[in-house]
Amino acid sequence: MTKPIIEVKNLAKSFGDNQVLKDITEQVNPGQVIVVIGPSGGGKSTFLRCLNLLEHPTSGEVDFAGENLTTLDDKRVNELREQMGMVFQGFNLFPNMTVLENIKLAPMKVKHVDDAAATKQAHELLKQVNLDDHADAFPTSLSGGQAQRVAIARALAMDPQVMLFDEPTSALDPEMVGEVLNVMQELAKQGMTMVVVTHEMGFAKSVADRVWFMADGYVQENNTPDEFFSNPQTDRAKDFLSKILM
Amino acid sequence: MKKRLVLFLALMLTLVMGVSTLTTTTASAASDNSLAKVQKKGTLVMGTSPDYPPYEFQATVHGKTKIVGMDVAVGQKIAKDLGVKLVVKSMSFDSLLVALQTGKVDMVISGMNPTPARRKNVSFTHTYYQGGYSIVINKSDKGIYKDKDSFVGKTIGAQTGSTMYNESKKQTSGTTVKGMTSVSDLILALQSHKIQGVAMEKPSAQAYVANNKELAAIPSNFDLSASDTSAAAAFAKGSTSLVQAANKSVDQIKRQNLVNKTYLPAAGKYLKTNTVNTSMLHYWKAFLTGVEYTLIITVCSVFFGFILGVLLSLARMARGGVFKTALRWLATAYVEFIRGTPMMVQVMFVYFGLGLIVNLPALASGIIAISLNSGAYIAEYIRGGINSVDDGQTEAARSLGMSSGTTMRYVVLPQALKNIWPSLGNEFITLIKDSSIVSIIGVSELIFQSNIVRSDTYRGVAPIAVIMVIYFVLTFTASRLLNYFERKMQHD
Ligand SMILES: Nc1ncnc2c1ncn2[C@@H]1O[C@H](COP(=O)(O)OP(=O)(O)O)[C@@H](O)[C@H]1O
Ligand SMILES: [Mg+2]
Repeated sequence: MTKPIIEVKNLAKSFGDNQVLKDITEQVNPGQVIVVIGPSGGGKSTFLRCLNLLEHPTSGEVDFAGENLTTLDDKRVNELREQMGMVFQGFNLFPNMTVLENIKLAPMKVKHVDDAAATKQAHELLKQVNLDDHADAFPTSLSGGQAQRVAIARALAMDPQVMLFDEPTSALDPEMVGEVLNVMQELAKQGMTMVVVTHEMGFAKSVADRVWFMADGYVQENNTPDEFFSNPQTDRAKDFLSKILM
Repeated sequence: MKKRLVLFLALMLTLVMGVSTLTTTTASAASDNSLAKVQKKGTLVMGTSPDYPPYEFQATVHGKTKIVGMDVAVGQKIAKDLGVKLVVKSMSFDSLLVALQTGKVDMVISGMNPTPARRKNVSFTHTYYQGGYSIVINKSDKGIYKDKDSFVGKTIGAQTGSTMYNESKKQTSGTTVKGMTSVSDLILALQSHKIQGVAMEKPSAQAYVANNKELAAIPSNFDLSASDTSAAAAFAKGSTSLVQAANKSVDQIKRQNLVNKTYLPAAGKYLKTNTVNTSMLHYWKAFLTGVEYTLIITVCSVFFGFILGVLLSLARMARGGVFKTALRWLATAYVEFIRGTPMMVQVMFVYFGLGLIVNLPALASGIIAISLNSGAYIAEYIRGGINSVDDGQTEAARSLGMSSGTTMRYVVLPQALKNIWPSLGNEFITLIKDSSIVSIIGVSELIFQSNIVRSDTYRGVAPIAVIMVIYFVLTFTASRLLNYFERKMQHD
């Protein structure tokens, strides 16, 4: 059996009285693509943010490559975050920097890669997401689809072992969803471990190894995409699917 | 060093308890090597309030503005007899004695009466001039007012802190006494009928009347002792050797009647040449100097204030251990304190207070005080700017493995600064106007220069109108320029 790269044990997270995550125990194996699906407000973003400690769990533990993140000091957490790229619904590109600078910043300031090497790598990543001709553009001049592909390239620049996606296509015009999903699909093919929060059923069906259905602070179902979509077990999932498939 | 620290602590304390204690503390702390000190230094610094012709006033000599008058001649005589060079420093009358006590000047000659109250705090020479008081009125009122007793139900003006002011209060009944810092303002108030008379020393009154056809002088008939109408030079309390040396010069001045025979006529000549050309254009150089200093102060203060502001705002947002918490508290306290006290007081504190430890020139003191002040405000703008940067930016940077410091420096601050550019611009424009406060410590910025021109020309309104226009041109140009850059930055 392969050792899981991410292990979540009895994870709980509250904001004041609002208990968003109640008790989650799951694991992600290297190379797996997990799609997290569920109703809005169900805690999907919070869960994802607990994985790289952008949100500190109230209790429970998050292990990354065998290390319990919740017990580490800031410096070590920063080092482990490098290995978990994250892509946000709102892109969060740095608006005061060009596309190229966005990608080069972290390698240069965190890994202390020299300018030439960082530039070379940035161009390669931009080719990978089909945007090398936009290297010198500023984020505001990009379409949503282009911006999200730059954000993916930026995260990849740190050579992560895992990529976390939080509804990467939800803010996009429909005609741009495809170009982003294609890049993600390519990434999955190359063997990247991915945890993707999305409502794109097509993507889940064709790319995901497992689907986690999350609602009311629990992972209610953990199944293969085929099983989950054709034969949901819980009423909660049936109800959810009937709503979004309408 | 230790003594300095004690002095400084004493000052801190007395600032809270009142200036009267300050004077005794610092004065008694000084020991008497005063004469030797001045002679070693080679200069005798004289403080004076040059808006009191013919005692002391500004005159344009060969295109350069300088302080002249009979008091300056007295000062020159004293300096010459001591074998040192006279340096004249101008400041408001109120600040003179503090400047003497804090060592900013060695000597004060400013038509000052050696009153018992003043004697408590400083040492006076023998009197070098025995004057008397007149009341200046509008010529059109000549039949109405005869002396101090004719002003029942009316208002008399006098220079704040002066003997005339105190006596006018004491020796009139049913008369309102209005104090103002400068005699030129008082004359202006008189001419605009805000007040009906201005009490001042006889020679001054004569100078004003001689130079302004609208004015007339009447006797005051104040009941006064000789010491109330006499003028003497003041030195720091306890500087006996210096006072004794100066007394030799003063006695000689008295014996030879130098004031009446030489000094007053000489001063009168300046007054004549001075008032030939009272066109504002004639004074363009004075105004230009004012603009120059105003801009120097503003630019330097915004620059240093900005650096201080960045540090303060970061300190205010520090979270974590004991050290960071202490830092945050300190920065917060500083910002609150500065924003809760008048800039004018801060300027005086830096000039007079820090002056006890290091001898800072007025311009440097002004820049330091305004930078310290502006830093507190800029810190708040920057904090606001940082808070206005979307949290997503921080999260993106942190998710890439960047530490909180790196994130702040490379991601948040650059964007925050872009956001606060307009506020910084406003601060700059505000400072162009507010830097005028340093005129109280004698920095020759616009307000100060306009006061000089006013007492120089006996014209109350024109110089004010001129600097008003200058201020507007400065701020308007600055705001256009800033807008231009702002637009350019947004295009990037
Ligand atoms: N920083 C926060 N402070 C307080 N409440 C939060 C915060 N972040 C999320 N929540 C709350 O947690 C719940 C789950 O939110 P979220 O994880 O964003 O759900 P999802 O991504 O599934 O839509 C919501 O009720 C939301 O209001
Ligand atoms: Mg969400």
